[in-house]
Amino acid sequence: MTATGGPVVRHRDLLAPLWRVVVAFRLVAWVLAVLGWFREREDYPGMAAPLAVLGAMAVWTGVVTVLYSRGSGRRVRTTLLDLGVTVLLLAATVTTQPPGAFGEGAPIVTSIWVAGPALAMALVRGRAGGLAGALVVWAAVTLLRGYVGDREVFNLTLLVLIAVLLGHAATITRQAELALREAAAAQAAAAERERLGRAVHDGVLQVLVAVRRRARSTDELADLGRLAAEQEVALRGLLTTGAPVAVGTTDLGTALRLLATPDVEVSGPAEPVEVPAHTGTELVAAVREALANTAEHAPGARAWVSLEPADDEVVVVVRDDGPGIPEGRLPAAEQEGHHGVRSSICGRLADLGGSAVLHTGPGQGTEWELTVPREGPR
Amino acid sequence: MTTVMVVDDHPMWREAVERDLAARGFEVVATAGDAGAAVRRAQAVRPDVVVMDLQLGAGSGVDATRDVVAALPTTRVLVLSASAEQADVLEAVKAGASGYLVKSASADELADAVTRTAAGDAVFSAGLAGLLLGEYRRLQAGPDDGAPRLTERETEVLKLVSRGLSAKAIAERLVLSHRTVENHVQNTLRKLQLHNRVELTRYAIEHGLADPGDA
Repeated sequence: MTATGGPVVRHRDLLAPLWRVVVAFRLVAWVLAVLGWFREREDYPGMAAPLAVLGAMAVWTGVVTVLYSRGSGRRVRTTLLDLGVTVLLLAATVTTQPPGAFGEGAPIVTSIWVAGPALAMALVRGRAGGLAGALVVWAAVTLLRGYVGDREVFNLTLLVLIAVLLGHAATITRQAELALREAAAAQAAAAERERLGRAVHDGVLQVLVAVRRRARSTDELADLGRLAAEQEVALRGLLTTGAPVAVGTTDLGTALRLLATPDVEVSGPAEPVEVPAHTGTELVAAVREALANTAEHAPGARAWVSLEPADDEVVVVVRDDGPGIPEGRLPAAEQEGHHGVRSSICGRLADLGGSAVLHTGPGQGTEWELTVPREGPR
Repeated sequence: MTTVMVVDDHPMWREAVERDLAARGFEVVATAGDAGAAVRRAQAVRPDVVVMDLQLGAGSGVDATRDVVAALPTTRVLVLSASAEQADVLEAVKAGASGYLVKSASADELADAVTRTAAGDAVFSAGLAGLLLGEYRRLQAGPDDGAPRLTERETEVLKLVSRGLSAKAIAERLVLSHRTVENHVQNTLRKLQLHNRVELTRYAIEHGLADPGDA
């Protein structure tokens, strides 16, 4: 990585090698068509017509070689044009044989060269493209011959198979390219965060630390010191990248540690505790609500969030050392219309298929025990 | 007077900690800004306690902790860390650090932690208890039969520590003496450090880094 910027994400067409195969096939197939005509030239009534068709094939092979060698030519339109021209050339072979000869097995001068567009279509449109191209070529050949013999079935089945397989390979390659680009973007984001992190760690954080440490001594600056401490903890949390987890899941450890403040200590294993993303969001929201309750009803109390994973469930305990909730206070609050606790904590946990248990009493602080099954609701 | 060495790569933080500790009667005998200097100076001044940041610019605080503990059996290391480096904290504690305090702790909490570290007690925050529980859980799920296990009582005690209960509150809740709770807590850390040392020695012998006779 350079010092001046993030990594450069270079766009590379991973399909390029497959396009080269398609182009090479066209050239080789043309040479084979010429050799085939030369070997069987006695089966043709004249020389001019087959040579004219072979010449036109050479020209078109040259055109598609140029088109398919450039990124701009590798598109559906080009392959459809290729298919059209190829079918026309196939139709033009009627001039090479007397009427009815194809029905009796006379050689077709275009030979396997006509398979080219099916392969190109497989590259731009995957399996469906390959199948469609191969079926059009199959139909055109059948129309020309007027019958379907063993040889035709064998050759054309092979063509369908190869075109579909090539289409499959193209689709997989395209997906791989997408994943690669996503990974590169994620890497660039992580690198950027690291760069920012270094800058913040060396600069802003140090000043916040200094403000906090010095402000403690004098009363009028105490508030400033407390604010500096809060921002310091929040910044450190933001800079935490956490371990990479599977798509669609959340590491509860990283998510909960973001809630740490000078008054809230978060504990849990160093290893990621993965839960489905929705479970993570809801659980963190419930913890937030519990902490908000503490901040509101027990100002100045300290709080602890403890993440305790087990084999089949995850337990999060939110505890504070405040005065606790007197007996009967919660039902009374609900009658007064405060539904915070029931809907935000108990409701969320019930939706997740888990449970929320509150232990409290005068002088005992409050302790929420939030339990969710590891698999999520069934 | 308890002698202390402060290791951090940021001069501003070093000075702040030094001032706080000096104001509370500790003698700060050295400071260092990177791992190499930390190990060299610790050997020269032999402090009672090293207050170690893990995020050092050059070299890791974990390695510095291991080297200091190995070279100076009477020196204890107190890790002072930002909340962002949980895996490093665990490694440092396994490497022999006696305790861990978050950087957002107050000057009084820091002074208290240094006093307890100097006295040979592990400084157990809720965060450290959570890390240890996680590590024992990981070891239990692993293939290593020789890995240390927690007794049921130890697990219970560690869990309460990780929920922020003081040793006194735990003693009340479990109907134990304060000293018994402290012993349980210290044992969980010692078992892990012992296991880590055995593992390191075994690794060194297997890879030809040490003579079995030295072990």
